[in-house]
Amino acid sequence: MRLIIRDKPEAASAYVANYIIDRIKHFAPTPAHPFVLGLPTGSSPLGVYRILVEKYKAGEISFENVVTFNMDEYIGIPRDHPESYHSFMWKHFFSHVNIHPNNVNILNGNAPNLEAECVEYEAKIKRVGGIDLFLAGIGEDGHIAFNEPGSSLASRTRVKTLAYDTILANSRFFGNDLDKVPKMALTVGVQTVLEAREVVVIILGARKALALQRCIEQGVNHMWTLSSLQLHPHPMIVCDEDATLELQVKTVKYFKSIEQVALAQGFEQILSSKVRTGPGPETVVQHPREAVNGNGGDDSPTVLSPQPTTSRLLRASSPAREYPVRSSHSPDVGGSDDLVPDRMASRIPEPGLAQRLTPTPEAQSRVGAVGA
Amino acid sequence: MPSAIRQAPPTGNGITKFTNCRLVVGDSLVDGDLWVSCLTGKILRSQATFYDEHVLPGETIDLGGRILSPGMIECQLNGAFGFNFSTLLEDMSQYGKKLMEVNRQIVATGVTSYIPTVTSQTSELYRKVVPFLGPSGGLRQSSDGAESLGAHVEGPFLNPTKNGVHNRNVLVEAHSFKDLEEMYGPENLTPTPSSEGNPATPIPIKMITAAPERGNMASLIPEICSRGIIYSIGHSEATYEEASAAVEKGATMITHLFNAMRPLHHRNPGIFGVLGQAESLPRPYFGVISDGIHLHPTTVKIAYNSHPDGFILVTDAMHLVGLPDGAYRWTNGDEENFIVKKGAVLLLENSETIAGSSSTLVECVNNFLQWSGASIPQALKAVTATPAAMLGIQGTKGTLEAGGDADLVVFSEEKNDDGTPRIVVDEVWKFGARVFLNQGPFS
Repeated sequence: MRLIIRDKPEAASAYVANYIIDRIKHFAPTPAHPFVLGLPTGSSPLGVYRILVEKYKAGEISFENVVTFNMDEYIGIPRDHPESYHSFMWKHFFSHVNIHPNNVNILNGNAPNLEAECVEYEAKIKRVGGIDLFLAGIGEDGHIAFNEPGSSLASRTRVKTLAYDTILANSRFFGNDLDKVPKMALTVGVQTVLEAREVVVIILGARKALALQRCIEQGVNHMWTLSSLQLHPHPMIVCDEDATLELQVKTVKYFKSIEQVALAQGFEQILSSKVRTGPGPETVVQHPREAVNGNGGDDSPTVLSPQPTTSRLLRASSPAREYPVRSSHSPDVGGSDDLVPDRMASRIPEPGLAQRLTPTPEAQSRVGAVGA
Repeated sequence: MPSAIRQAPPTGNGITKFTNCRLVVGDSLVDGDLWVSCLTGKILRSQATFYDEHVLPGETIDLGGRILSPGMIECQLNGAFGFNFSTLLEDMSQYGKKLMEVNRQIVATGVTSYIPTVTSQTSELYRKVVPFLGPSGGLRQSSDGAESLGAHVEGPFLNPTKNGVHNRNVLVEAHSFKDLEEMYGPENLTPTPSSEGNPATPIPIKMITAAPERGNMASLIPEICSRGIIYSIGHSEATYEEASAAVEKGATMITHLFNAMRPLHHRNPGIFGVLGQAESLPRPYFGVISDGIHLHPTTVKIAYNSHPDGFILVTDAMHLVGLPDGAYRWTNGDEENFIVKKGAVLLLENSETIAGSSSTLVECVNNFLQWSGASIPQALKAVTATPAAMLGIQGTKGTLEAGGDADLVVFSEEKNDDGTPRIVVDEVWKFGARVFLNQGPFS
């Protein structure tokens, strides 16, 4: 986890915007090898969009070869409704930069078949080789996209009913009339976000402080879906001073010191070059159809999909074919990540312990088994 | 030197994006972009174009913070560049040609549509001339220049005591609608239904100025309005009561307020009085000539403040607008006079009678800006949104809303010596294509 803390929200937004620009530049995207950017809506990323637009107008960055995927969209309001996320993105970002409409992807909340829309969205993300950087904001309850408290951490793009809190919070955009606020939305899942090669979250203001605390200092918990970020290999949270109000002093100091030391030592907290440049064009663009139509993609290169270890951890029942499994203790189990019963006693060369102290270890392991 | 460009070459998909503009929206200037198409000639719903058509503008024009306004609408124009609309030509086929020339020249002044005005004339002249002056934008050709929105017949049912420079000998009274039909020709008061091979054509006459107190005029107002023609009170001795009755019957406009009517008297406020709300009638729109000659600056200001939403700036310009100073022969029905033009002042020779004006509409806007302290968007509203609303075409003209016609003017803002703002026409666009570009004094 990288946690970047800035005194003011503007500085935090500027950090994120500059970080994204830096990532795109290093990526050197081309039409055959585009940079794939996941995008949020809401108040938190507004400053980021504003700076991205400024930098575009100043000629510092081009979005010509950037493909975007938005996190979510309401169901049941017209696409061009002023509060739709299509309108938000148009107003705050797309209308000001040189992104091509063909490269813009936003879930269609008015699709005739919403389920098919979600499946196709996931497939589209796969077709372009996965998301290189997913920018996110969070709600006061720690939700990421519309993955409200209690959402499965293994969720994918789907129809979601909004939490009452969210409907209340959104009613200010709909004339404070609860009846006018959409009750449902399409949203990418927690898993969809975690599969991005990198996730950057911007969290601003005291109102988000508790959520940030839960997500950083507490365990992974589906009631604070952002906490799933702890399982991602390359997460970064950028926040302002106010958002740290609920954090322990030592947590804040620790993350600040990491950044300072890194700067002092002359290296940045950057990603490995493979993650920074994404899959090469050979693996993505030249064989997109095989990768999609290959029924599971057993033969597709492993870099086709992003590789967080979380998918394996979260889906204990499904074999993780996509990712190699590392296990120093049971090299013989090969590609399976199923847990193998192991007795501490068997590792101790003491014949007296060979006899089982617990007569029915199977029953014991069932007690400890995690429910789905 | 300013130059008139006949038609901008279409680039790419015909979509132009104006960026970095201050858009005239209501009473304010709003930072934003505007997308227009020269194929449809309309202002685009940019968001829908992006998400539905998946297209980007073929051309992007950075206005660098300049003002983008709807094209100006002129509601009282008697002629321009030497051509008087109230003219019979020996070969009337030349009339259309001359009118087209005027349209192409006048668009360079920022006037993208207008109501050509015919003064009090004989029936023969109306019948011959009005068919040329009907709505001309049907083909949506930007190269045609400014567009007529229909003719304005100012007379001859006027009060002889308020004739202004109209020929008193042709002024008559109307007692029935038949009198109007006989005067203007019935075909000029009725829409032509579509026939084989010919689409329906709108009524050539859009507005009639008449004195409500003359003949039976007041009772004819509902019939006029029912045809979609605007009845405007003007050249009239009407009392406040008579004017109020006319408004009640459907009059929605006052022709050049204060000029050619009784002045405001505190015991009988006259026509001006209907701008009060005492009778709880809807207040009519009103034209105001802010050329610096017809009205005192303070009078203009009072008119504006009495009803800002009805305030329309007009030039009432004669055909001499755009010509050099001097004495010009003027045939007015059977009279022959000379008009002396000196700057924007037009006087009947050897008299002090104002013979109309020769100001351009942007000059009137600038006068108003200087006198009133109104903001630029407020002043521009008086030549865009308000006249469009008066004519009942608020969705298509005088607006920057998506779906409206892409008639646009780019203004740059300058300062007068006294610090008041002044605007200059930099570019004019008609139906989504550039038709005029002011290339500046040093090019």
